[in-house]
Amino acid sequence: MTTATRSEGQETRVAKVAPRLFDGYSPHPTAFDELFEPDGSPHDHCRTLVEKLGRLAISEFHTRRAGADLAFVNQGITFTVYSDRRGTEKIFPFDIVPRVVPGGEWPRMETGLVQRLKALNLFLNDIYHDQRIIKEGIVPADLALGSKGFRKEMVGFTPPGGVYIHICGTDLIRDQHGEFLVLEDNGRTPSGVSYVLENRAIMKKVFPHLFQDCKVKRVEDYPHRLRDALRSVAPAGAASPPTVVLLSPGPYNSAYFEHSFLARHMGVELVIGQDLFVHDDVVYLKTTRGPQKVDVIYRRLDDDFLDPKAFREDSLLGVPGVFGAYRAGNVTLANAVGTGVADDKAVYPYVEDMIRFYLSEEPILRNVPTYICAKPDDMKYTLDHLGELVVKAVNESGGYGMLMGPSSTQTQRNEFRAKILENPRNYIAQPVVTLSTSPTWTDEGVAPRHVDLRPYIVTGRTTWVLPGGLTRTALVKGSLVVNSSQGGGSKDTWVIENGS
Amino acid sequence: MISRVAEHCFWMARYLERAENTARVLEVNQTLLLDFHVPVEQQWKPVLIISGIHDYEGDTGGESVQGYMTWDEENPFSIVSSLAWARENARIIREVISAEMWERMNYYHLWLNSPAVRELYHNNRGEFYAQIRRINQLLTGICDSTMAHGEAWEFLRLGRHLERACQTARTLDVKYHILLPKLDDVGTAVDNAHWIAILMSCSGYEPFHKKPMADPSDPGSAVAEFLIFDDDFPRSIHHCLTECRRCLADIAGTPNGEAHTPADRKISELVHWLDARDIKDVISFGLHQTLTHVVDSTHTIGEAIQSTYFAPEIRLPESPAKKLTQTQSQTQ
Repeated sequence: MTTATRSEGQETRVAKVAPRLFDGYSPHPTAFDELFEPDGSPHDHCRTLVEKLGRLAISEFHTRRAGADLAFVNQGITFTVYSDRRGTEKIFPFDIVPRVVPGGEWPRMETGLVQRLKALNLFLNDIYHDQRIIKEGIVPADLALGSKGFRKEMVGFTPPGGVYIHICGTDLIRDQHGEFLVLEDNGRTPSGVSYVLENRAIMKKVFPHLFQDCKVKRVEDYPHRLRDALRSVAPAGAASPPTVVLLSPGPYNSAYFEHSFLARHMGVELVIGQDLFVHDDVVYLKTTRGPQKVDVIYRRLDDDFLDPKAFREDSLLGVPGVFGAYRAGNVTLANAVGTGVADDKAVYPYVEDMIRFYLSEEPILRNVPTYICAKPDDMKYTLDHLGELVVKAVNESGGYGMLMGPSSTQTQRNEFRAKILENPRNYIAQPVVTLSTSPTWTDEGVAPRHVDLRPYIVTGRTTWVLPGGLTRTALVKGSLVVNSSQGGGSKDTWVIENGS
Repeated sequence: MISRVAEHCFWMARYLERAENTARVLEVNQTLLLDFHVPVEQQWKPVLIISGIHDYEGDTGGESVQGYMTWDEENPFSIVSSLAWARENARIIREVISAEMWERMNYYHLWLNSPAVRELYHNNRGEFYAQIRRINQLLTGICDSTMAHGEAWEFLRLGRHLERACQTARTLDVKYHILLPKLDDVGTAVDNAHWIAILMSCSGYEPFHKKPMADPSDPGSAVAEFLIFDDDFPRSIHHCLTECRRCLADIAGTPNGEAHTPADRKISELVHWLDARDIKDVISFGLHQTLTHVVDSTHTIGEAIQSTYFAPEIRLPESPAKKLTQTQSQTQ
């Protein structure tokens, strides 16, 4: 029988070969594909990856995929959904086909991100001191000073080392032409970096050989880079080395896993509000050997909840008096208080001008064109084109408070029209950018799904960018919403050296 | 270390130890019943008494009590409750315990919530209890071999040994609660079965029998002596308390035996109290009375540890400004 089949020739044998991973993959008709050219051949920098990964039979791919999922579950790399008494722990969906950033493009992106961050820090310093950028008419006073993120308590105060945004997560998207654009800056308490590190660790277990074949830039240095950056901006009179703690809202916070992960890898204590107290404007940690002075607090708590004496009185999560200690120069808070004014979505359109104003440079990374509803002309345009635009509430994140024009219903558009008219300051609009796609495992096999990229930028005395970042992927066909709270997943991001 | 974190370490270890002990007691009780005829009302009630449950109103049949002590989430002493609390404590301090410990803990958490475990419980009860015992044994091993032997580790050890001392005392005390049908039954097969069960519930059957017995006609007093005083046996009350004292001395950074903190003083008091007695004193004072004193004292020790380390009164550090004024006034 076997002989007979063979004698019938090549075709039968080919048909017997198990289906391979990228067999029949067809890139998105209009979006830029992260792995493939429109003709279906891989980009030069992805050749090795596509070739090696493409040799996998689907069944083998399934085995690896199950292995990765199991690793997440067993390690408890989860977020908690509190729908019942004990809370249900879920894993973020993880796709094991990596997303690639070309090594040749990365240095330019890195420089662009550093440039942007520098301008944002200068902007914050300016806003809380001389407000030159307002006086010179570049950023409207009511937009900046009227931002929810603006903290009058910060006026006239300079944080240690002059750094406001120590950790920034800047969301980038890639348009149809393959150009990276900045979608938003997250300069308050950006999250997600633990997934970058865990995704990588798990990928190394699942595909050890791929890493040997492709030259992928390391991400594992992040926790130490962050710790060193935070130590470098400790206040005068700090211990040597300075005592750094990570302040979490607590074990019931959905990002607690990340807080715990970072504390472990940074080698710092993970604390909650009740572990700290302030005495004579000095922050102390309650230890088994008595109070211990704290120099730097990497806080994963919003400004509002940080200090019931200074901000929201009903906050039980914060540390009473910590803001006073900060203003007295006895402790560094990272990020600084009041950075929200810089990542306000209504201030975002001015970041390119900030770069020109403070640095006298042209922005390397461009913004997505944005209509600011606070401006009458922009508002009119927005209201006239609701069906084509993405409308965003300026102080929301996680994909909430958003209208996706092209897929919206008349009722939703009417609702947003009313909201915009009622409070124009609260809204911006952008044309729909067709996000790039990356091959992703779906129920129908490997198919294109839209992705974005969040690189992490760490600033102490110097600035460092984590190579790559967090790639979030929409798992629903055609969806442009990648947020984890809206059913998105993530991928490992590979900055691959060219020619490998 | 952070006081709150120390507390989580301490309780994580206690809950793990408690789950192991409960599994052992249930397992022994189940196998023991195969060999001896014990009156129905005495078969499973002791298991509840060991856990300090005196108000159980359910069916005292084997399946019902085992279900209650294994699966009932409302019962704070059930195996699932103990393990859930152990895991919750571990989750909160997962950056403190070693990654390997956390992964194992989490693995068992998932296992305990899987259909496979229910099948095992129904098809092979003995193996199920053995698996539960193994959780703490394995985690203790991983803990000792992968975690720095610093303060966090000491608090884990402290919790484990304090809980163990308490459990041994409660297990031994169960003899007080089981009334033998007739006085004539003393020294009979049923009486012996009880003593064997108690030894096995403390994992002490083999070590006990490897020791020469002073008076073979009185197994009761020999077992009690072994479980209270034998310093070579890792679950004897004296051994566990001595370990607690050593942990506390290491935590305080003081040479063993010097009591500096309320916790040190309380543990030393109990160790000295036991040191001043032998088994004859215990019998004449009353075994139940002795064990009650031990159990009550472990509660007091727990409270002293709490006030010394977990929720200490904060002695405020002097501010630099005040120091300056003081120095100045002294020089003037």
